[in-house]
Amino acid sequence: MKKIKIITEHWGKIDPLKIEDYLEVGGYKALEEFILGMDRAGALGEIKKSGLCGRGGAGFPTGEKFEIVASQIGKKYFICNLDESEPGTYKDRMICDKNPHLLLEGIIISALIVGADKAYIYINGNYQKQKEILEVALLQAKKKKFWGNKILESDYSLKIEIYSGAGAYICGEETALINSIEGNRGEPKLRPPYPTGCGLFGRPTAINNAETISNIPWIILNGGEKYSKIGSKNSPGTKLFLLNGAVEKPGIYEAPTGITVRKLIDEYAGGIKKGKEFWFAQIGGACGKLLLEKELKAKMEFGKACQCPLGSGSILVIDKSVNIYDLLISWTDFFRRESCGKCVPCREGTFRLWEIAKRFKDGKISERDKEAIQDILWTLERTTFCPLGKFAGTAFRDAITKNILTF
Amino acid sequence: MQIKINNKIYKAKEGEVVLDVCKREGIRIPTLCGFEGLPREAVCRLCLVEIENAGTGLKPVRTNLQPSCVLKVKEGLEIITESEDINKARRINLELLWADHAGKCATCKKNQMCELQKLAEEYKIENFHFIPRKGEITGIEELDLIRDNWSRVVVENENPCISRNSELCIECKRCVNICPEKKFGFNHRGSDIVVGTPYEKVLDCSFCGKCVEVCPTGALTDKNDYKKIIEDLDSLKKFSIAFLDVEMEKKILDKIEKISAEKNIDKILANLGFEKIIRLKEENLEDEMIKNIKTEYAKQKKINSNDIVVFFISSKIYKKAKKDKYLDYILSEREVARLIRDKEKMREGKIHL
Repeated sequence: MKKIKIITEHWGKIDPLKIEDYLEVGGYKALEEFILGMDRAGALGEIKKSGLCGRGGAGFPTGEKFEIVASQIGKKYFICNLDESEPGTYKDRMICDKNPHLLLEGIIISALIVGADKAYIYINGNYQKQKEILEVALLQAKKKKFWGNKILESDYSLKIEIYSGAGAYICGEETALINSIEGNRGEPKLRPPYPTGCGLFGRPTAINNAETISNIPWIILNGGEKYSKIGSKNSPGTKLFLLNGAVEKPGIYEAPTGITVRKLIDEYAGGIKKGKEFWFAQIGGACGKLLLEKELKAKMEFGKACQCPLGSGSILVIDKSVNIYDLLISWTDFFRRESCGKCVPCREGTFRLWEIAKRFKDGKISERDKEAIQDILWTLERTTFCPLGKFAGTAFRDAITKNILTF
Repeated sequence: MQIKINNKIYKAKEGEVVLDVCKREGIRIPTLCGFEGLPREAVCRLCLVEIENAGTGLKPVRTNLQPSCVLKVKEGLEIITESEDINKARRINLELLWADHAGKCATCKKNQMCELQKLAEEYKIENFHFIPRKGEITGIEELDLIRDNWSRVVVENENPCISRNSELCIECKRCVNICPEKKFGFNHRGSDIVVGTPYEKVLDCSFCGKCVEVCPTGALTDKNDYKKIIEDLDSLKKFSIAFLDVEMEKKILDKIEKISAEKNIDKILANLGFEKIIRLKEENLEDEMIKNIKTEYAKQKKINSNDIVVFFISSKIYKKAKKDKYLDYILSEREVARLIRDKEKMREGKIHL
């Protein structure tokens, strides 16, 4: 059976720096279709029908988000979240590297659907090359009148601006991202009000992950119904999976949602690396859950009923030769560095976990540390200001409950 | 509208937050980052409450702990302010905060007047789980862990009015929010966070003193040479005169409410060693009157002007920046309270200067 490809279809076959290549394979056809043959409500209907949900990790239904913003009047903004900084995740970077115009087309259509006249691409500060690629793509698309004043001679107008962050992990959180664009310190704001009602500069704002947006052109061209039949029922479509660690062919793979972890490892990534013994897999970056061998049948999908949160789509396969203490330090050090430092449990808790992880490695773990771990994980899960803190201890917790870490 | 707190019905107004309702009704909820009139930051995570029923009319569902300082009231909202989980969360967060604090209470300017200290006493916090991050290094093996954090500590005494010591700071953001000139902000991030000025320059502002007033700990305090002040006050040779600014009496009494039972300000000041107290009746009259003391008053009373020590007790701490030879010290209500505190302790025989 031919594997369905939505985002990766033209990867490697077209030159990312040439708009002609993209036009040749049917690029910007969806934008034309939207402008000539559809109205906003119709397009919104298709996206709702498709069941597309956010690919950044939370899995919020995209159609619903668009509808809330579209239903409001006045100045509105659209933001493409390209602040990808989850360890082991590079899907959005690959989208820019391989087919930036697909993303751009998606941004233009989405911004027009929600009725925004200004779209921002918030890009991670470390993605210098990708920023340059996007700048080239933006120029080329503007020349062809795909954005700017009177898009394709229609009444639609849209300004697009690339905004480069400083590479902070927390700025991928939507309210922190808004703070960053507004010129404030990159720290999360209180929710509610949600950005869909009171976002950038106090105006309704739709913020979507780059991968989510890249699905939009396909949905416009092929219809929401067709999209909803791909993959899992609760969160249909395809997803970019990143297989790293002890697998034969590490890399990025597009697969329908609902696929099991085992299938991804065996069929896509060529199985476990020769001579290595599988220990566990971490799903969704540094804040992700750990799966043991017997749990690999977990389906990769979004939603409340899912067996394992998909997160950003990264799957890190750990083999038995890995020193668990090094891994522990790597996780905890990441969150200690990347916490914004605003609320007490996250600022102090992540620091303490890192401190304890270092003592673990030195073999100096004491009784009071063991008690402290439980207390910190407990307060991180329940009392932090934003989701960063909430998930900062997930891997640590799993390592303890699944007996990966013994003390 | 009506809401239920701890199974009792209370009235609440639209747009109010749970913490304010509880305060009005006398229900105790601890908080460190919240301060009257400042934006509610919800960062200390101490004012947590549990929602019994999120106002949906559905059967009660236990949801996560919510910070009451930003939890808006809704018709039919049912909350609980004391439970095992709430206490556990408050205790852990307070313990984390306490370990981040230098814990030099015995010598701290804010001892007995510190909000963190009060809460730590209330919740019986000890440094049991965590090694203090700042100050008081005890074991050699702990040095390595603590060394990573020394960069966090910013001590600045170079400006004329305010002593800053981030060792004692708990990052509550009160000073950041209250400063009319926006002089403070967070530098660095994560566990390296420091409340400071841009590029860690010496604080240079109009010194209105609002940040010192709101600081819950001893991180921001009034700058003065206390040793010399006490020497001058206790000296039998020196004649100490205090000018009491308008409304200072009430401010001082408010500050020492918990420290001293004495309500007569003349007695209190006399006890501190002031020989003469002059009350200002109107604002901004002090300059002329103060100048008068070391010149004409001294001549009239035949006292050597070098033996007169002139104090100005006032909230106008910016005057410290432009002190002239006619005025020796400016004391804020906080500093007077501190002097009283130390006097009380000496009387109880607890400290010896």
